[in-house]
Amino acid sequence: MNSLVTASNVSKRYGDVRAVDNVSFEIEKGKIMGLIGPNGAGKTTLLKAVLGLTDCEGQLSVLGLDPFRQRKELMQNICFIADVAVLPRWIKVTQLLDFMASTHPNFSRTRAEELLSRTKVRNDAKIRELSKGMVTQLHLSIITAIDARLLVLDEPTLGLDIIFRKEFYGNLLNDYFDGERTILITTHQVEEIENLLTDIMFINDGRIILDSSMGALPDAYVELVTSGEEAEKARQLGPLYERDVFGKKVMTFEGVDRERLKGLGDAHTPSVADLFVAKVKGAVS
Amino acid sequence: MISTQIALVRREILEHRSIWITPAAVATVVTLLAIAMVVAVAAFGEVLNADIAMLADMTAPESVRRAALAASLIGNTSVFLIAMWFLAIFYCLDALYAERKDKSILFWRSLPVTDAETVVSKVLTVLLVIPLATFAAVVVSHLLNLIIVSIWMAAEGANPGRAIWGAVPLFDTWGAVSTVLFALPIWMAPLFGWFLFVSAWAKRGPLLRAILPIAILPILEYIVFKSWTLGSAILTRLRWDAMPIFDKIRTAGFDDDDLHSMLTENHSLVSWLDYGSFLSSIEVWAGLLICGIFATAAIYMRRYRSDR
Repeated sequence: MNSLVTASNVSKRYGDVRAVDNVSFEIEKGKIMGLIGPNGAGKTTLLKAVLGLTDCEGQLSVLGLDPFRQRKELMQNICFIADVAVLPRWIKVTQLLDFMASTHPNFSRTRAEELLSRTKVRNDAKIRELSKGMVTQLHLSIITAIDARLLVLDEPTLGLDIIFRKEFYGNLLNDYFDGERTILITTHQVEEIENLLTDIMFINDGRIILDSSMGALPDAYVELVTSGEEAEKARQLGPLYERDVFGKKVMTFEGVDRERLKGLGDAHTPSVADLFVAKVKGAVS
Repeated sequence: MISTQIALVRREILEHRSIWITPAAVATVVTLLAIAMVVAVAAFGEVLNADIAMLADMTAPESVRRAALAASLIGNTSVFLIAMWFLAIFYCLDALYAERKDKSILFWRSLPVTDAETVVSKVLTVLLVIPLATFAAVVVSHLLNLIIVSIWMAAEGANPGRAIWGAVPLFDTWGAVSTVLFALPIWMAPLFGWFLFVSAWAKRGPLLRAILPIAILPILEYIVFKSWTLGSAILTRLRWDAMPIFDKIRTAGFDDDDLHSMLTENHSLVSWLDYGSFLSSIEVWAGLLICGIFATAAIYMRRYRSDR
């Protein structure tokens, strides 16, 4: 079985609000999937459903398990970082390692201590004495020391400075990701993880509006910087979204052959952030 | 399974430090008071405690000196009982609330530990760990107090080896004290179950939300039905002297102040405790059942709570 997560017509309502609206997708083994969406788009709700923290309608299978009803079994093979501030502030690092070793069958204390020895986190320190960046380092070290098949990261670097953010993703790739493990990640700082991702999913108003491999994006989407008459000609090709930048027109096309855009301006593959804006705003307009 | 439960209970002891700080603080205060009393006696020549005076009187019968020693130790123990009463209530109110307040619940729930295992560890903490910590503090406090009085007696020229250590019914006292300390949370279990549920349910102010219903519902019952069944049931659970473990003492017509008479009549404290009555009491088992129902509701609340 190559598919680690399979969602089929998954929905989640809070009263009259559909936080997740009939979504279907698959995440395969060995992928780094980015889940991108604006605030309130349903990202966290979807992640919670994947993690078994909330029940949902439809069929959702994670590692072949029903995440809500088989959460304990699931958590032996999944780990997640929900936010930088969630480690209990009263606990000492060594006590946390003790707890992990006693409760998690796939946790390697030796590996965690080895990873922590590369940081400034002292074993006898309490979490409340550590900086936000150090707490994240600690959390990532613990997660990395778990032999888990799926890692879910929900805004893992929120509130961290650029150095810690870069270090976090560097360590994630070097220490955790081995091509066999799978990562599902959401973040607002999409430009920082763009190069890590193998696959991407956009979610807006509870619906998946893009589900693609990163490799397929250049064939499917083109961004054209143009102006004047060329802009008018390009507009005839039906851009997904158009915006003004320094007096030039920037158009995003979906499913338009690059050859047809030749001579109409500077054509290139849009960044994930620009593509996201185009997909969300283009859908609105 | 067992190692997970041990780790979870250990978490409770580390997270809720009042579990051991409160009894330790009471033991410290009781010991300091004992020292102050001995110093006062030495300084002013006044005997502040009649039980202690009795000890020095070697002409008194041994049964009387045993009773004096036991009464002295039990007198100290009631302070621990009051402290444990408050400690257990506030622990229950915080047990499932603190992890939501500091948002660490998402970390705890990221581990392969079920909500049921977590809530069970909290029930075990209030039923077993808190009484055990209190009992340990009581034992240390008793020993320190006896050592302090022994030093004072030796300084006065008396023989504490015979007067105190030869007469003190330590194990009988500890047997009785531990029974009462472990019986009290079982007796109060329905209230603790309710408090645990509120700690899993309340968005804020669990104390107020826990107390208001158990204060208002009996009043409503009285206004509507002119009866006081619920109020009486709740108040009975809050009183340790209402426990069936004291049935034999009540039947014999003794009360709290009659320790000397009781112990003179039958010198074993343990033999005054009514284990049969406690274990066969429908009220005790019904209370545990209610505690179980509220704990189950707390499990579901913890499971669905982070839904929002």
